[in-house]
Amino acid sequence: MTATASKAKTKTFRYLVKIDQAKCISSASCVSIAPDTFQLNNQQKSEVRAQEADSDDLKLQAAQACPAGAITIIDRETKQVVWPESDN
Amino acid sequence: MVEIGKKNYRNQENFNYLLFYLILMTKPQEYTAIFENKEVYNEKFEHYHFELKKPHTIEFQAGQFASFVVSEKRLRRSYSICSDPDIKHGIELLLDMTPNGVGINYMKSLKFGDEVKFLAPLGNFIITDEQPYQALVLVGTGSGIAPLRSMVLDQLQNKQTTRPITLYWGLRHASQLIWQNEFMELSKTFPNFSFHPTMSQPEAQWPLCRGRVTDCLAIHDLPANAGYYLCGSRAMIEDSTKVLQTRGVDPKNIYHEQFA
Repeated sequence: MTATASKAKTKTFRYLVKIDQAKCISSASCVSIAPDTFQLNNQQKSEVRAQEADSDDLKLQAAQACPAGAITIIDRETKQVVWPESDN
Repeated sequence: MVEIGKKNYRNQENFNYLLFYLILMTKPQEYTAIFENKEVYNEKFEHYHFELKKPHTIEFQAGQFASFVVSEKRLRRSYSICSDPDIKHGIELLLDMTPNGVGINYMKSLKFGDEVKFLAPLGNFIITDEQPYQALVLVGTGSGIAPLRSMVLDQLQNKQTTRPITLYWGLRHASQLIWQNEFMELSKTFPNFSFHPTMSQPEAQWPLCRGRVTDCLAIHDLPANAGYYLCGSRAMIEDSTKVLQTRGVDPKNIYHEQFA
């Protein structure tokens, strides 16, 4: 097994992303930050490309940078909403 | 912020190519910068200057934005860059100081020399070579002028385009108007550029257009084979798009950036 394959196998994906397309204003910031997780559809709205691709840090950064607050990050294990924080 | 909206591209394939190119060329980075200066224009608008600290240069395209960390809880707010993309050692923002939100309150709290963190460049509200228009029509309201100013400076001064560029800017009152001298000087230096400010609630002596930008778009001559770049509220973008379509503009040639 190569080092790369080993690293990929051990990579964990704790965060689940959800997109509220009604809020999406097509800024594409999420696609710029985490291009393996997000893509724009034919209506130029963000959609999930793959849940287990970019790192959790990148997914969180994409959610935090969304100008419309259209992205929610959920912890798969605890089922808690990681972003947005409850008092935002 | 001048926030970011839906664009129409000739087809999905072109759009994906453009986006892929954009991502490759301008992968966003986290920047640390110093709040260096600000100009207080009036009660509505202030112009903030940030000098980059690390990394110390930035490559962005006119029309893009930056996402600032505005709270200890990593809450972010996004602001369009209003400066010339040829200036690579810093970025400038035009801020509408009237909303009492977390982002503007953070900006108000900054003191000269304070360190800020932002992610940039972001967004795809840009004019590319893939859009071979013979003329450009830029339409903004309020702080929606910010990315359009960057586009005007880039097109005229850096790209030295000779195609006609028309800039419409809608405000409520003439007392809110800024950069008028700059735009008028540009129109003298570059005969292909024209500037049309319009006031929806003008003072009695206001000599130019009265009404909303949609009123201007409804009555002014529209150039043939033009690309239209709209920046403002959702309502402004929807209304402007309707007017342009009524006048025969193909929606594929309308791009927009929406306030969040």
